[in-house]
Amino acid sequence: MRICRGRLQAARLQTIAGAAICVLALASIDAQAPVGERRGAQARVEGAPRAFKTPWGDPDLQGTWSNQTLTPLERPAEFANKPVLSEAEAADYEKRLLRNNDADVRAPGTRQDVNTAYNNVWWDRGNRIVADRRTSLIIDPPDGRIPGLTAGGQARAERERQIASSNVEEHAASWLDFDVYSRCILRSGLPRLSTGYNNNYEIVQTPGYVAIFQEQIHETRIIPLGTQPHLPGTIRQWLGDSRGHWEGDTLVVETTNFTDQARGSVFRNATKNMVLVEKWRRVGDRAIDYQFTVSDPETWTRPWTVKMPWNRIDGLVYEYACHEGNLSMQHMLEAARAAEKQAK
Amino acid sequence: MRSGIAALIGAVACSAIALPATAHHSFSAEFDANKPVKLQGTVTKVLWINPHTWIHILVMKPDGTTEPWEIEAGTPNTLFRLGFTRESLKNGTLINVDGYLARDGSHRANGRDLTLPDGRKLFMAGSGPAADK
Repeated sequence: MRICRGRLQAARLQTIAGAAICVLALASIDAQAPVGERRGAQARVEGAPRAFKTPWGDPDLQGTWSNQTLTPLERPAEFANKPVLSEAEAADYEKRLLRNNDADVRAPGTRQDVNTAYNNVWWDRGNRIVADRRTSLIIDPPDGRIPGLTAGGQARAERERQIASSNVEEHAASWLDFDVYSRCILRSGLPRLSTGYNNNYEIVQTPGYVAIFQEQIHETRIIPLGTQPHLPGTIRQWLGDSRGHWEGDTLVVETTNFTDQARGSVFRNATKNMVLVEKWRRVGDRAIDYQFTVSDPETWTRPWTVKMPWNRIDGLVYEYACHEGNLSMQHMLEAARAAEKQAK
Repeated sequence: MRSGIAALIGAVACSAIALPATAHHSFSAEFDANKPVKLQGTVTKVLWINPHTWIHILVMKPDGTTEPWEIEAGTPNTLFRLGFTRESLKNGTLINVDGYLARDGSHRANGRDLTLPDGRKLFMAGSGPAADK
């Protein structure tokens, strides 16, 4: 395995260079500024909460983070009127979720057993629900559930269900029949939720930019800060087009211009016109509060919002060189051709 | 008896529902659920590549000849994070594979369960702890 240090170190060097230039520039300004107005000052009273600021004065989100959590996206029926669990309930729920997630549970001879793929050590879902013990990651609507689908949303969801239940991958004509994940293009369309493994991110900032490297599936989001408009609607990108700005200590990023040219390239079967607004706010040395709101009147009857933590990890984010090692695609297509020959 | 059968069906249904999310791609498109396979062989090579690690083994056949097989396993990133390295599974190690045969009949299988001859799971470790507190 190769570790993606080169690229990140380059980004870090740029950060350091940018920061150094910025500090030099600010030094001359700050020499005349009252102490209380100096930007980037790190001095603080002993015992006071640490202000997480970059040397050039922006809120500091940099570091390596994980969004792994056992908390489900939607509130389960059993907690219909219970948005928050007690400590005892949370402990019991975590135990149950870990048991249910146990990939060592076998169902021999079934597709599901094949697809579960390998034993538990290969998975990395975490072992806790969110610290505030919510029963769903969705905080709006208040019932913790994805709002109703429009007619178009229902039709798209139904079409995807039919494709999935037809096991299209087992008789695929080409790689084009596979979703973006199998093709090593994207893990899924933004925004990213917690998944089975590699739920890791590295944030690097420079004056004017925030870069977010997603371990799986090796994408880097480069987000310009400021007021420049989005790309024209004719230009569509796998990660959409992101524009960010600071609202106090919160990084607010709006993403548009998604593309629907492959299965799974837009979040949860929404249209390419979906608008995503994400917010990152540093709430401690080891925690970022991450929230996103998705809006797509062609898919959902109203916008909805998720709140989930990004917790600091102590290790590095590694390269997930998906495409160059994707022997599975070749094998799946060979299997489909072998099945055709056998049927003749 | 009836309730016993109902309980059994319930248990099967529950275990089916309880099976967690799948891997990077559809393993059932690559391996055949109707062809479970159990192999024992010595490791000759481990490809620490994403999206899936591949463990190459040499299987000793009853007639004394050997046969190379390739076993598909999970993402190396997770293993690396847990402290495993390229030295952790040395060439010559004898392992048991409980998986499913490739649909095209090639000598490939998925490593649904990988164990050492004494029954210990290969790559024993717990799930990474969440830092969510």
